[in-house]
Amino acid sequence: MTVFPHLLAGLELSTLPQQLVNGILLGAIYALIALGYTMVYGVLKLINFAHGEVFMLGAYTALFTSWSFGFTEVGNKQDSSPGILILMLIVSMTVCGVVGVLIERFAYRPMRSQPRIASLITAIGISLLLQYGGQLFLPSSPPPSISDKVNPFKGNIEIPLKPADSALLAQAEQLKAKVTSTKAAYDEQLKSEKDSFNLSPVGKELRTASQDAERDYRNAIDKANKDALVITLPQGQVIMLVTTVILMVILTWLVMRTTAGRAMRAASLDFDAASLMGINVNTVIAFTFFIGSALAGAGAMMNASFLGGTKIDTFFGMLPGVKAFVAAVLGGIGNIPGAVLGGILMGLAETMVIWAGYGNYKDAIAFIVLIVVLLVKPGGLLGSNKVEKV
Amino acid sequence: MNIQFSWKHGLIALAVAAAIGCNGGDSSATTPTVENKGTEAAPAAGARKAPTAEGNKVDGDVIKIGIVGSLTGDQKPWGEDSIEGGKMAVEEFNAAGGINGKKVELITGDSNSKAEGAKTAAEKLISDGVVGIVGEVASGHTIQIAKSAFDKGVPVVAIGATKTDLTNEGTHVSRVCYIDDFQGPVMAKFAYEELGLRKVALMTDNKQPYSQYLSKTFGDKFKALGGSIVKEAFYESGQTQFSGQITELKAENPDGLFLSGYFTEVGPIAQQVRQAGLKDVKLMGGDGWDSPQLLTSGGDAILGSYFCNHYNNKEDRPIVKSFLEAYKKSHGGKEPGTTMAALGYDATKLMLDALKRAKSLDSKSLIEAINETEKFAGVSGDITLKGFNGNPPKRALVVEVRPQSEGFQVFRKAYEADEIK
Repeated sequence: MTVFPHLLAGLELSTLPQQLVNGILLGAIYALIALGYTMVYGVLKLINFAHGEVFMLGAYTALFTSWSFGFTEVGNKQDSSPGILILMLIVSMTVCGVVGVLIERFAYRPMRSQPRIASLITAIGISLLLQYGGQLFLPSSPPPSISDKVNPFKGNIEIPLKPADSALLAQAEQLKAKVTSTKAAYDEQLKSEKDSFNLSPVGKELRTASQDAERDYRNAIDKANKDALVITLPQGQVIMLVTTVILMVILTWLVMRTTAGRAMRAASLDFDAASLMGINVNTVIAFTFFIGSALAGAGAMMNASFLGGTKIDTFFGMLPGVKAFVAAVLGGIGNIPGAVLGGILMGLAETMVIWAGYGNYKDAIAFIVLIVVLLVKPGGLLGSNKVEKV
Repeated sequence: MNIQFSWKHGLIALAVAAAIGCNGGDSSATTPTVENKGTEAAPAAGARKAPTAEGNKVDGDVIKIGIVGSLTGDQKPWGEDSIEGGKMAVEEFNAAGGINGKKVELITGDSNSKAEGAKTAAEKLISDGVVGIVGEVASGHTIQIAKSAFDKGVPVVAIGATKTDLTNEGTHVSRVCYIDDFQGPVMAKFAYEELGLRKVALMTDNKQPYSQYLSKTFGDKFKALGGSIVKEAFYESGQTQFSGQITELKAENPDGLFLSGYFTEVGPIAQQVRQAGLKDVKLMGGDGWDSPQLLTSGGDAILGSYFCNHYNNKEDRPIVKSFLEAYKKSHGGKEPGTTMAALGYDATKLMLDALKRAKSLDSKSLIEAINETEKFAGVSGDITLKGFNGNPPKRALVVEVRPQSEGFQVFRKAYEADEIK
């Protein structure tokens, strides 16, 4: 009966806007990967389980490209330029696109006339081959990571949702004088101390005073920020989101406005009829794999370089792959806007769970959401409700 | 549900308290569970069972010793270093004549940075006839080795496994490193007294028992000193995006963050913490940070952070100098990258030393001899196991993370075993 007040008691409303933004930023990457799953499924009715591994290869490609620019060790290079990042993005997308086409040509095409389960098993086989076979020739132990120098955008943008309360700001300003004076006293004392890690009692007292003043000041500033509902956006992640949106716009144009896109849509509507109408289905399928894999490559490159220090190993694509697959099913597999919606929802669900204080269950929630949606709407949120035998 | 749960806990606590008896009585406020016992307070007799199996015997002219380490996977830097250290100890021992003309052969097993891998490797070594096993570095892996070794009656000397209750697996397990009941409080004391922090948030890797327990020991001590733990956030090994957790921590406006996980995730967390606008927050951690890899994954964001370690290459004790000289000679002039080389060397040397003192060359006598070890001179400090149930009182060093050009880990302050109560 009193369950809800109890559950809501621990919620911090001031972080909600920030967490919503976090969720969208996270979801954008899921959406990018989910597009690959959904496009391939739309045309071939095949779940490409090797898609996560294409994502992994994209991260490695970005790593090798960064190495080729000399970002191998810490401190041996100045910050890079946007040009290098764009080049890394293009290389990763191209390599992944080609890998996707090769996988389709040599693993899936020979299986196309066989029952669909054979292709599904082949997909799982390719996935395992790349995960474990990759360890033979890709550096994975200890897992490397892209140098933080690759990303020149390390600052953040602070956006207040409403004007700051001037009274709170004035309060904070008043505290500033004390911070300066206590800090000066401590700095003066430091000159006569031998070791800042074995302070004399006087030194410790002065340091505590200085830190207490600083803490009060920080708390006051924090209070003002919370009141103004300030959202902090790391620059790198904003660039990730903008790039993702641009790629999605290009994709929409490709699918809706070009001949190749029309052929793709025709093939996904009725594969056999499309081929009878003179559409070269092999080309259409290769094109679909290229686009889907290139999007995964873009996601991987951005994930590995803007979220600096992320370790890259041959299982890099496993968890994002699974989550993106869930996102694709959630939005209605085969449906392109559905994949984007599903991805964003997955990202939001994950951060909302953390916001609500149940961070332990953030991965479980993805699958709970999936089960609930499939029970209520088996075709996914935007999918058709046609029953499909798998 | 809730009531039942706490009842159960109460009963267990009562039972444990009864079993331990009034052991000193200085543990005061906290419930006296076996896990809470520090180095000096010995768990009750009977808490550590002696293995009943016969173990392996030496036959022929070769004494086989096994060592398990991660030669592949995330923890390769530790596995390689610890095994290199072990090899050095065996070479020195053989060069000095071995035991009655019998030479020691060191057989290596790869744990593949996984608990299952460690178990398989240990079982393979035991069936190959080793009289004792050295290893591992990670606590989760070592527990599996200890369980397999218990069934076969083979002794285990752990290298860097700091999880406190590890040695409760049986009298056959001991270690050469400090325990988390020491390491956590050391960092808490350092954070409170030397860094002057008062509000600290914890970030715990939910997949690593090491991280969970270290967060707990740090938090308990920090609160006992008068500080407050404002929030604990959880993540999992392999996670790449931490913005959700960081937002929750930022809302509490902490002075410092204690990251109890391994270096593979600590680096990206540090970078994302700075990008989220927490510019001045001090970052701290345990010996799980000890790898030069941290500088690549953490970039500039990790510089100026502090962690707890077992020893430092720059120490001026003579044994450290001679160890480093010997290491450099056999490794092309390079110093070991992590402290696990020294600990691997100590663990192997301790086992060989015990072998010399053992009544006969078999696992059973070896277990007895290891537990009788007193004032063994190790590179990481003197090691005494007699009367300490496999957990030697050791010193801990707090080091600051600096760029590679300054030597990666710069010594800041040392804590002796009896300084932490």
